[in-house]
Amino acid sequence: MLKYSAKRLLQSVVTLFLVVTIVFLLMRLMPEEGYFGEGYEKLDEAQREAILASMGLRDPIHIQLKNFYSDLFKGDLGESIIYRPKVAIAEILKSKIPYSVKFGVAAMAISLVVGIPLGILMARSKNQLWDKLGTGYIVFINAVPAAVYYLLLQLYVTDIFKLPILYNPDRPSSWILPAISMSLGGTASYAMWMRRYMVDELNKDYVKLARAKGLREKSIMVRHVLKNAIVPMVQYLPTSLLYTVSGSIYIESLYSIPGMGGLLVDAIQRQDNTLVQALVLIYSSIGIIGLFLGDILMASLDPRIKLDRKEGAR
Amino acid sequence: MDNSNVILSVKDLVVKFNLRGKVLTAIRGASLDLYEGESLAIVGESGAGKSVFTKTFMGLLDANGWIDSGSILYKGEDLAKYKTEDDWIKIRGKEFAMVFQEPMTSLNPLRTIGSQVEEAVVLHQGLTGEEAKQKVIEILDDVGIQDPERRYYQYPHEFSGGMRQRVVIAIAVACNPRILICDEPTTALDVTIQAQILNLLKELQKKYNLTIIYITHDLGVVANVADRIAVMYAGDIIEIGTSEEVFYNAQHPYTWALLSSLPQLGVKGQDLYSIKGTPPNLFNEIKGDAFAPRNDKALKIDFIKRPPYFEVSPTHKAKTWLLDPRAPKVEPPESIKFLRRKWKVKANERSE
Amino acid sequence: MANSIDKSIDESLFEFATYDEQQAEMTGYSNYSYWRSTIQVFMKNRVAVFLLFLMIGLLAFTMIQPFLPGQKSPTEIHIDENTGMQLRNHPPDKEFWFGTNSIGQDLWARIWSGTRTSLLIGFFVGLWEAIIGIIVGALWGYVRRLESTITGIYNVLNNIPTTILLILLTYIMKPSVFTMIFAMCMTGWLNMARFVRNLIVIIRDREYNLASRCLGTPTRRIITKNLLPYLVSVIMLRMALAIPAAIGYEVFLTYIGLGLPISIPSLGNLINEGRRVMGVPTLRYQLIFPATVLSIITISFYVIGNVFADASDPRNHV
Repeated sequence: MLKYSAKRLLQSVVTLFLVVTIVFLLMRLMPEEGYFGEGYEKLDEAQREAILASMGLRDPIHIQLKNFYSDLFKGDLGESIIYRPKVAIAEILKSKIPYSVKFGVAAMAISLVVGIPLGILMARSKNQLWDKLGTGYIVFINAVPAAVYYLLLQLYVTDIFKLPILYNPDRPSSWILPAISMSLGGTASYAMWMRRYMVDELNKDYVKLARAKGLREKSIMVRHVLKNAIVPMVQYLPTSLLYTVSGSIYIESLYSIPGMGGLLVDAIQRQDNTLVQALVLIYSSIGIIGLFLGDILMASLDPRIKLDRKEGAR
Repeated sequence: MDNSNVILSVKDLVVKFNLRGKVLTAIRGASLDLYEGESLAIVGESGAGKSVFTKTFMGLLDANGWIDSGSILYKGEDLAKYKTEDDWIKIRGKEFAMVFQEPMTSLNPLRTIGSQVEEAVVLHQGLTGEEAKQKVIEILDDVGIQDPERRYYQYPHEFSGGMRQRVVIAIAVACNPRILICDEPTTALDVTIQAQILNLLKELQKKYNLTIIYITHDLGVVANVADRIAVMYAGDIIEIGTSEEVFYNAQHPYTWALLSSLPQLGVKGQDLYSIKGTPPNLFNEIKGDAFAPRNDKALKIDFIKRPPYFEVSPTHKAKTWLLDPRAPKVEPPESIKFLRRKWKVKANERSE
Repeated sequence: MANSIDKSIDESLFEFATYDEQQAEMTGYSNYSYWRSTIQVFMKNRVAVFLLFLMIGLLAFTMIQPFLPGQKSPTEIHIDENTGMQLRNHPPDKEFWFGTNSIGQDLWARIWSGTRTSLLIGFFVGLWEAIIGIIVGALWGYVRRLESTITGIYNVLNNIPTTILLILLTYIMKPSVFTMIFAMCMTGWLNMARFVRNLIVIIRDREYNLASRCLGTPTRRIITKNLLPYLVSVIMLRMALAIPAAIGYEVFLTYIGLGLPISIPSLGNLINEGRRVMGVPTLRYQLIFPATVLSIITISFYVIGNVFADASDPRNHV
């Protein structure tokens, strides 16, 4: 187990390094205006060059990389240029992340509590009513872009239930709709995967043996199938949890929640390059870290995993 | 084999399956009597219906299959009439237990083997906690697993194929059944392990007073363990008798063909015998003897009317028109004649 | 031996019958055809069939719509003859079937124009993903020397979140239909490549193919009989699913501000425009109409794609 963890950790670190570097290099292609803010037109060529040089953007690539990483290790993500001029990005993040995480975790909790039982129900009533309803729900959520149903939700549900439209930290009832909206996608995912894994397990030989032993269907479901089906799902959990940091772009803008999602939109619309860069790097890293944690979690639950799992076969 | 104490009696069982909207008749009116304490082997080609036949005793048919007609009499009840889970719970484990073919996938990979055997003990032997655990260790020892106290806590992937099969047998035995059905128990194992498993089953049979049904296509296995042999073809039992009778005095042309295929009976330098043709399509209704199209010595009536059982001895009968007194005398293949000579020798020995 | 003899049987029936070797073998005949079974299974799902016809109808309609009589241009701003003012936010009526938007453009025309754009984007994305994916996948699976390199690249690229890459690419390149297609392709070909590569590895190494090769079956035949049916299924599946995915991404990017310029109507733009006026109940139609059309399209393609994927899996041919 320890050997496996160490190996995965090494793989993750290497991948992380590669991804961050690639993204960093890609970001060198960002349009220049993003480094200047309002003053761009007023400056002439020479002045622009001077400013770019002072930011280290005219240095040779390997120097830029070196500086980037050394800053990173010091916890310095640079300063925002346009969004909040001269303010350290790390500060900005600190004020925004809590909101996103709060809603993200709440949404995830709802998704799990609703999604997993739904998936089980669907597997048990295969091809009958509940399965069809659940499938209809999943198809809708997967096919229609989230923006659309979030909008419709906000439009109609607030009317029906007389809920406040915008988020207000002082009114608890204003937290409900955003959290529920955010959970819809997760619910669909968990239900779909749960159903799939359970149906797979139900076809396996050891279930037939359990039946031959004289166990009732219900017992078999709970004692054999459920645990076996949940284990593969567990690997997705850490990633989802970490992604709550990114915040839902739609939800936050629809309900005016001052979180990370809105930050990304603003950064892009105002072309604040350093901010965009910092955010992109964070999101890229989250995925890798999440995958690593997910694998470790899986390995601790499934006694069969000891060494190599083939990559590219996820 | 004990005296005629029939514990299971199957009469004219017909089992059908719904595949792609079409109906396939897997069992076409098979009958069988099972005697207490015996070892009965059901042999036949793949697809003959051996597994399906025994699954009906436990209600383990796939969802698209059903019993169309016939009866399965056990302890005064007709199992063919059972429909609900509550009905089958009375049977599964308690009366009938099954050992499956694939030891590699028959066990839950995420649970210790100890817990899986214990499940059966708790369910059928009324023990719990420490008592149950001790019983499990005792059974593991019985099936020949070394160091059972430690292995109790291990997972299936830590066992080899042969050992896993022993665990599966342990689970079956732990259910305390009356009848044990072994569906190709050694097919997936090495030849060297096969003998060990078969011996194990023989020992357990004695110790736990079991009646065993072996399903196999391997006549070698049969020779080793069976008191009686039932030969199955296209969903019907076409010949049944004691081991000796079926081997040395086979009457049905299919049994002849089956025996002739044994490499041991081949003659060095000549081609090995193989049965021509393929088993019939069970989606269609079969008229007459199912084996007739593949039998180059078939009679006209074989294509028209299904043969009934003809008795050869009180314990041996076969469904072939060749046994009707009006049928011409047919020369069986060389290898069968060879076996018949041995039969005569044995008969003489017995009468002395 | 007391066997009951059935006297009713004629003695002559106990003569030998003629042995027909053909008969003995015939019982094992199977007339399985992969495509026929696939279509059969697909047809059994009535919802999918219905949606398929719906989509075919829709596609046909979007093509001919501009040529139908009485259709207006999606970009023309309509002026009220009487007042000389722009016909803004005009609710649906006989003249403007879906009403007009906030600057007086005909919503009906805009929606169909937007649908054309979005479908176009989706189609091209699906096509290019398929092409690039197949080429890379084939190299990956077939050329053993490249295998570990490409696997390494795949593992790294797979970790970059799609949305991030999309945002990045559209941020760097200026918004246009081309940018959108390019960006989506860049993020989508990976999966396709992996599918194709897996297929090729299967072709190479599965026992039945080794057996075919031993028997002397030419590679060409192995490819056409084994590889191609699956490949075509996979391509069709990916293209069907690419459309709702592309629409989804397009809506997302438009939302952030990286979408198509408003001069080009697209479903994403229309949703955005609708969103701006959704606070006013009477103007909600500007959101509902595009949202409904979009939902119908995305759901249809998603269902068709998935049902087809299930149908083309031989295991479901029972």
